Amino acid sequence: MRRALIVDDAVTVRLYHRKILEEAGFQVEEAENGVEALEKALVTPYDLLLVDVNMPKMDGYTLLREVRSTPELEGVPAIMISTESEKHDREHAYRVGANLYLVKPVRPEAFRLLAALMARNGESR
Amino acid sequence: MGLVKADGKPAATSKPSPRKYTRDLTGLLAELNDQQPKARRWAARDLVAYGEEAVGALCERLRTEPEPSVREALFDALLAIGGDAVVEGLIPLLRGEDAGLRNGAVEVLGQLPEAVGPRMEVLLADPNPDVRLFGLDILRDLPHPEAPRWLMGVLEQDPHVNVVTVALDRLAEVGTPEMTPAVRAVKDRFPDEPFVAFAVDTALDRILGGE
Amino acid sequence: MARAAATQPRCGELHITDAEFDRFRDFFYRKTGIRFEDSKRYFVDKRLIQRIEGTGHRGFRDYFAFMRFQASGEEFQELVNLMTVNETYFFREEYQLRCMVSDLLGEVLHYKRAGETVRIWSMPCSTGEEPYSIALYLLEYWDLIDRVDVEIVASDIDTRALERAKQGLFSKRSVSHLPRWILGKYFEPAPGGYHRLCDDLRASVNFRRINLCDLNETKGMRNFDLIFCRNLLIYFDEASQRLAVQTLYDALNPGGFVLLGHSESMSRITSVFKVRRFRDAVVYQRSA
Ligand SMILES: C[S@@+](CC[C@H](N)C(=O)[O-])C[C@H]1O[C@@H](n2cnc3c(N)ncnc32)[C@H](O)[C@@H]1O
Repeated sequence: MRRALIVDDAVTVRLYHRKILEEAGFQVEEAENGVEALEKALVTPYDLLLVDVNMPKMDGYTLLREVRSTPELEGVPAIMISTESEKHDREHAYRVGANLYLVKPVRPEAFRLLAALMARNGESR
Repeated sequence: MGLVKADGKPAATSKPSPRKYTRDLTGLLAELNDQQPKARRWAARDLVAYGEEAVGALCERLRTEPEPSVREALFDALLAIGGDAVVEGLIPLLRGEDAGLRNGAVEVLGQLPEAVGPRMEVLLADPNPDVRLFGLDILRDLPHPEAPRWLMGVLEQDPHVNVVTVALDRLAEVGTPEMTPAVRAVKDRFPDEPFVAFAVDTALDRILGGE
Repeated sequence: MARAAATQPRCGELHITDAEFDRFRDFFYRKTGIRFEDSKRYFVDKRLIQRIEGTGHRGFRDYFAFMRFQASGEEFQELVNLMTVNETYFFREEYQLRCMVSDLLGEVLHYKRAGETVRIWSMPCSTGEEPYSIALYLLEYWDLIDRVDVEIVASDIDTRALERAKQGLFSKRSVSHLPRWILGKYFEPAPGGYHRLCDDLRASVNFRRINLCDLNETKGMRNFDLIFCRNLLIYFDEASQRLAVQTLYDALNPGGFVLLGHSESMSRITSVFKVRRFRDAVVYQRSA
């Protein structure tokens, strides 16, 4: 089964994304901020990261920069999901290593499809 | 070899670094821009003793400080000082480009209820939805009696779907039963948005305790 | 501990619904990073009910609002104390000791000059089980102990705990995780079913009373390579946690490590440390 990590400080968002991803066949875990995401990702090999931007302790951009500069994690696909729709946020997300940038709220059908497309094939590890 | 003890003397072995600066306000302000991160960290910590007088310099330094460990020391110092000047100095950071600074400011502001309280309504009415979202993040842990009322205001009036769903997220934790009509009504304001329906149902479930 | 006297949930009186459990669980997770699985439901409900009754509230809803909005955060702390295990024993969280000898010390020696002493701080050390476990582990499981000097400093705010630590008299319960041969080699039986640690080991640890939240007391604590700070930060409020981690950071040599208790995480406190994962444990490092 493919494993996804949802990184977001809003519990409602985590529950919503969890539901959609579970319907798409993912096994889902959650982290409340960037530091916790690193703690978890270093222990569990995820096939996909879903990353919010504004979070306490460590924001999403910093998290992605850390992920891309950590050898064990650099290859994991990451979708940044932001409330901010301005152009510079999108550019910033891609610059720090996001593979895809989405704006909240996500549409379930599209999100399911994109997550399935972006994720690593769980078998390939 | 093996287990040893630094007998008698205190366990510390570090010598205080030669003091380049005086330990008064002028010296510490100069040290805040030292080449060495370590010196800047200590300057930030020691500046707490000068209270409001140091706030301007600490906020100024935040804008350019590249070292995360110094940034944290600056935020901690501002939190320890507290008061109106700190709040005035931090609010402008919410509009900045740097997500780390924005979220650091949010965390400090969320712990200064007395000084932040009077400014909350202005923040939550800001034309920029991102600033309103930071307002809700500040509100999250703010021990302030008006917090539920502010949240209700956002719920009933804010036009932006992301701002409203974050308010719903907060209400799932702190809402009370008399708020349920207003929570339910949000669905009608955003009838085509599945996430809003989900957030409303989650909030209702939590508020009513599943009864 | 007060917990031992916990009252059983009385039937039909107070009851925590699924939605209330979720509400509490998500709140507790956000604040502490500790996430209760469904299997912990009974454990959590029982303690919640104990506090609802203890504070004279009618039900979960009233109690939760009271606890959530209390400016002092005292009641929240009360819950933390109830939901966590506040005791200490030899070889507690042994995987971290394993990580120390198999990985951390190697990295530490890498940045140190030859012949320099490795410095370890056990903060808080309580009645001594933790620093003595570190000493035992180094002597028994670290090959290089014959060639490297290691200094262990152990601190706690509680002078009575420190006195007991220095005495070196331990209960059966406290040594129950030790391999029998270690018990035989380093301890001798004492009256009342106690075990006395041998003098050499007692003399190998330097005990000092220190309050981790007092900058004046911690200012001299520098140049450590490893800090064990287990099962303390969880009991601090946010402001004290922030202060404490800055102190830990300053007490470490660049490249040094902090180890936290197994239910603790830096993720609710700070991002100054680098998260490092080794075979046996996740630890936090001050960047070189
Ligand atoms: C649960 S024990 C942890 C002992 C050991 N580290 C372990 O994990 O088994 C907590 C200890 O923290 C000490 N303590 C509480 N506040 C402290 C402070 N501000 N500074 C130093 N120690 C403190 C208490 O005295 C107590 O001995």
